[in-house]
Amino acid sequence: MIAALACGSVGYLRLGLAEVRADMNTPTWEGQLVKFAVQASVRRNAAELHNPPPPTDENLIAGGKLYLGGCAGCHGKPGKPPDNLPGYLSPRQFFQAGTQYSEPELFWIVKHGIRNTGMSAYGPFYSDQQIWTLAAFVKRVNNLPPTLLEGIRAKR
Amino acid sequence: MKNFTMGSLAAIVALAVGAAGYLGLGFANVGADAKPPIWEAVLMNSSVHASVRREAPKVQNSGVATDEILIAGGKLYLNDCVGCHGAPGKPASAFGATFYPPAPQFFLIGTQYSEAQVFWVAKHGIRRTGMFPEGRYYTDTELWTLSAFVTRSATLSPIVMKGMQQPPE
Repeated sequence: MIAALACGSVGYLRLGLAEVRADMNTPTWEGQLVKFAVQASVRRNAAELHNPPPPTDENLIAGGKLYLGGCAGCHGKPGKPPDNLPGYLSPRQFFQAGTQYSEPELFWIVKHGIRNTGMSAYGPFYSDQQIWTLAAFVKRVNNLPPTLLEGIRAKR
Repeated sequence: MKNFTMGSLAAIVALAVGAAGYLGLGFANVGADAKPPIWEAVLMNSSVHASVRREAPKVQNSGVATDEILIAGGKLYLNDCVGCHGAPGKPASAFGATFYPPAPQFFLIGTQYSEAQVFWVAKHGIRRTGMFPEGRYYTDTELWTLSAFVTRSATLSPIVMKGMQQPPE
């Protein structure tokens, strides 16, 4: 029985019957299942991470500058309409949707990425300290005072 | 027969419960900073290629790949693909390597996809990878020049290499 299932699956895949195009909406069941597994895994992995830095203006501005440089292209810019793309690559629009992840969870995701999505790993490019400031920024993205958003856009 | 049916059903239920428990407890590693295991890479690559082969347009290319077409495709490539898929004469893209699965480096390994298949992939993207559907931003004509360029990335003439680097007039 299990052998038959395995053979059927391989045949289905090898005959090219699995749809691979990314420009159509994710079925609800697939979206829910992936979300369920990803959230559980991130929660487990991030559990050991502690001590996010204090959300001082300085840290939030540093995180915001990183965000504009490395994240805004996919995840949206402050004060801009969301880029709600239909299809498999529909990155979370933080300025509209916020996030349910905690700061340590966001830190873990940014550092390691999420496989089989467009979220790549930023650990090779940013220090842990930088990623913590980014997590602090993203967590508070909808509760930032306007002066802070101006600070982010200001040239150093 | 009755025993076989009950046994099979029990096995399927046990598998489903086991899988749900494994995923729900967070044991599935979702980090992208690892190399896909060989079995996964082989299964994914062959399944994706089989599906693209089935779906890609039957017409194999846009016509003759003149230098003009290749330069136009090269300019699109430098504009939109180079960040992940690598630049001519450069080492592999460090950014492309941080995706899971990693972005193929055309100037180092070429591609096994035909022109029509590259066209289809560029237009529709590949789900569960970082490959975005570019059909949203480019016309079919533009994507055909891009696929002509990508399938010849290993054998580009110096004229094309130079022409694609020229800033637009």
